[in-house]
Amino acid sequence: MNYVLFVWADGIPAPEAMEVMQRDLPAWIQEMDSRGVRLFGRELDLPETAATVRVRDGETLVSDGPFAETKEFVAGIDLFDCADLDEAIDVAAKTPVARFHPLEIRPVMSMALGERTSAFGRGDDSAGKPYLLAMWVGGAPAATFDERAVGQEGETWRADLEARGLHVMGARLQDANTATTLRVRDGDTLLSDGPGVETEGFIGGIDVVSCTDREQAIELAASHPVAGYHAIEVRPFWSE
Amino acid sequence: MTTPAVQHAIDAAFREEWGRILATLIRRTGDWDLAEECAQDAFTEALRRWPVDGVPQRPGAWLTTVAANRAIDRLRRGARGVELLEQVGRDPTGTPRTTMDSHESDTDQGGGIEDDRLRLIFTCCHPALSLEGRVALTLRSLAGLTTAEIAHAFLVPEATMAKRLTRTKEKIAAAGIPYRVPPAHLLPERTAGVLAVLYLMFNEGYSASAGDQLIRAPLCSEAIRLARLLAALMPDEPEALGLLALMLLQHSRRDARLDASGDIVTLEEQDRSRWDLEEIDEARALLRGALRRRAPGPYQLQAAIAACHAEAPEPAATDWPQIAALYEVLLRLTPSPVVRLNRAVALAMAEDLDAGLALVDELAEQRALSDYHLVEATRADLHRRRGDRAAAIAAYRRALDAARTEPERRFILRRLAEQNDRP
Repeated sequence: MNYVLFVWADGIPAPEAMEVMQRDLPAWIQEMDSRGVRLFGRELDLPETAATVRVRDGETLVSDGPFAETKEFVAGIDLFDCADLDEAIDVAAKTPVARFHPLEIRPVMSMALGERTSAFGRGDDSAGKPYLLAMWVGGAPAATFDERAVGQEGETWRADLEARGLHVMGARLQDANTATTLRVRDGDTLLSDGPGVETEGFIGGIDVVSCTDREQAIELAASHPVAGYHAIEVRPFWSE
Repeated sequence: MTTPAVQHAIDAAFREEWGRILATLIRRTGDWDLAEECAQDAFTEALRRWPVDGVPQRPGAWLTTVAANRAIDRLRRGARGVELLEQVGRDPTGTPRTTMDSHESDTDQGGGIEDDRLRLIFTCCHPALSLEGRVALTLRSLAGLTTAEIAHAFLVPEATMAKRLTRTKEKIAAAGIPYRVPPAHLLPERTAGVLAVLYLMFNEGYSASAGDQLIRAPLCSEAIRLARLLAALMPDEPEALGLLALMLLQHSRRDARLDASGDIVTLEEQDRSRWDLEEIDEARALLRGALRRRAPGPYQLQAAIAACHAEAPEPAATDWPQIAALYEVLLRLTPSPVVRLNRAVALAMAEDLDAGLALVDELAEQRALSDYHLVEATRADLHRRRGDRAAAIAAYRRALDAARTEPERRFILRRLAEQNDRP
């Protein structure tokens, strides 16, 4: 099974936390890569770099900043391939990040990895700057819609982007009710049922696109069918 | 027509076999709802056939076969039937066979095949599920309570409980919670989790207010029944025995712990002739067996403390030094303000009222306890025992201010009245 891991943060980590994470992350990455359970993991840029995109009555509405009006924001994303939730918990609990941030484990319903996924996972952004498109759903949609039809339009959208060499990966996620949040405190793994942070909606799917700039990423988000009913948050991944 | 004897056989089979049948069907089909429907169908079929054909010699085997055949029928009609059918027809050792008469091959004693009910318990009590979902699903799946019965016991509408159960089952499937007994490196932690769910279930029933006692009492008996099952399935786990012993010891006092008006009667004031001696004896035997394994844990220690009280024919005969020593060990394993408070009381009762009081004062100063009225009430009680009426009254008043529930308030007011009435 595949799981997406959302790293929740409420600011820039304290220097001590940063030091521990930088020191211990490479060993974790190496272990999980050799076990074959980690498909990729990347940090996102800070939330102020985000744009939230909606399309209403054919018009693209862009607001600066992330979708959720909470102090907490998603600071990074990992993708796991695990036997079951217990293994995903084990993998997540071992990352040094878990000592400082709540980690939300969300099962993947379906996903598409492309040719560019592995370069993106390695942090090789030579083909274009990677942006996360996070589909915020869960609240009341702007209009009633046929989930199946929108799903199919989403597939078409994806295929089109792939053909244009802009698509890196995409995943539809199980809803927030199936999430498990994990924290590690004093060496103990603490689990709770539900998402890492209570927000108005929840991330129902993610796509990673490779763009020349923010304008293009926003344009791609606006062309996604979900933008017409809910909202899509666009945020660049962090790159050195 | 269903005779009382047949009805009795069906009821007994339901209590004995529901969890086992369901657990096996879930393993073989991987589908909780299907498993539940088929198990239900089997009992409906028993209700129809047993009055005519007579009660089968092995009701469990009969019910399992009927439920399995029903599962095969349903799967055959379903879209994803074929693949699942293969799993259903296969036994756990991989030998194909025609019927799913798991009842004989999957028995828990020996044989090396894990009892499916153990898989079911660990899955229902998985820590990634909400606590209330764990309790509800355990009662539904293992104990066979209906959704209405569980809703009733938890004082929520049936629709709320149905939703809770559905959500919990959906998470198990969607999030990929494995249907298994956890591997060795996870077992101690997960076992503690299962024990905590059962103890929570017990306490939900045991600490119910007087008005809700009748409604919620079944939670106690179901928790005991499940703890008994767990102890049988995990005979090498002393904490499972410890938990069962602890529940039995608490349960043995159920008739003495409330007075006619529903107010709490302290251990010291309880009519000990109303304690259930059978349960006490069983608990003591269980506890002896557990302690012999020399792996003490919080449940064994709490049970040992409860046993010290149970063994005293009158309050004055209580072995307080032993209780204080047990709290000392418990405090090392689970350091908490409540344990510290109890240890202070035991020390006060064992040797030195002043020393105990000093420890309680310390706790009061730290304000470590969220149940602050307990600290003040304890303090008052120790002052009372020392004969310091003024200090006792002052502490009872502070306790009264901090008390949060009506029974707590009534209890403190009664104590306060006793102090004021004294010459």
